[in-house]
Amino acid sequence: MPDFETSSLGRIFYEPEWAIEFPSGLPGFEDRHRFAAIKFEESAPLVFLQSLEDPALCFITLPILAVDPQYRLEVGGEDLEYLGLPAGKQPRIGEDVLCLTVIAIRESGPTANLLAPIVVNLRNLKAVQAVAPESQYSLQHVLLPEEAPVCS
Amino acid sequence: MSRRAGETILIGDEIEIVITHIGRSRVKVGIRAPRETLVIAREVKLVRDENLAAAVTTPPAALSSLIARLQPAQEPGGDSKRLQPPGSSLQNQRR
Repeated sequence: MPDFETSSLGRIFYEPEWAIEFPSGLPGFEDRHRFAAIKFEESAPLVFLQSLEDPALCFITLPILAVDPQYRLEVGGEDLEYLGLPAGKQPRIGEDVLCLTVIAIRESGPTANLLAPIVVNLRNLKAVQAVAPESQYSLQHVLLPEEAPVCS
Repeated sequence: MSRRAGETILIGDEIEIVITHIGRSRVKVGIRAPRETLVIAREVKLVRDENLAAAVTTPPAALSSLIARLQPAQEPGGDSKRLQPPGSSLQNQRR
């Protein structure tokens, strides 16, 4: 099993066939394509999205349903194509895709980007950050203490 | 300013916007701009800035308090297993 020295997580071990591939990168990181999704027992339910190309690039994420159990995923046609999913049918979270929200740690507290979730096709591990232009979801959803995510 | 399909708008000397197709709810535009000018949809720019703010380069101190806040909310035997990402079953180690 290959290992990779990272800035934030220390040395990680991963199965190469479990690497997640973003064919078009992420906005702001267009040239970063391969990531590993890593969960530590002591920091669950957080999922770390660590770049396998840049040791210093890591995103903190949460399963989106842990933040909003009613979250309605909307993936555009071009993104469905990147994911290798059929057009005209929205993927189901947990069945077809893994859906993660990127967490930003701000001075005022952590926020979750519900506007542009990370969507991973569970069958081929292709991924996109799905930006929905007409979505009503917040780019900086405040994670209030009373809204502590519940995995149910 | 009102334009028909095929007509052009100029912004300054170097930026040209062509209305290439007008659909029922969407308009396709072609944009010619200098190479160094970033041309992206507004929402992509917002997500880009948010990603740059969210990218972790060193472990922030705030992380431990976030984890402390999230962990008591976990219910054993819940659906969380199904939501585990690929790679989550790895025995990751920190050194």
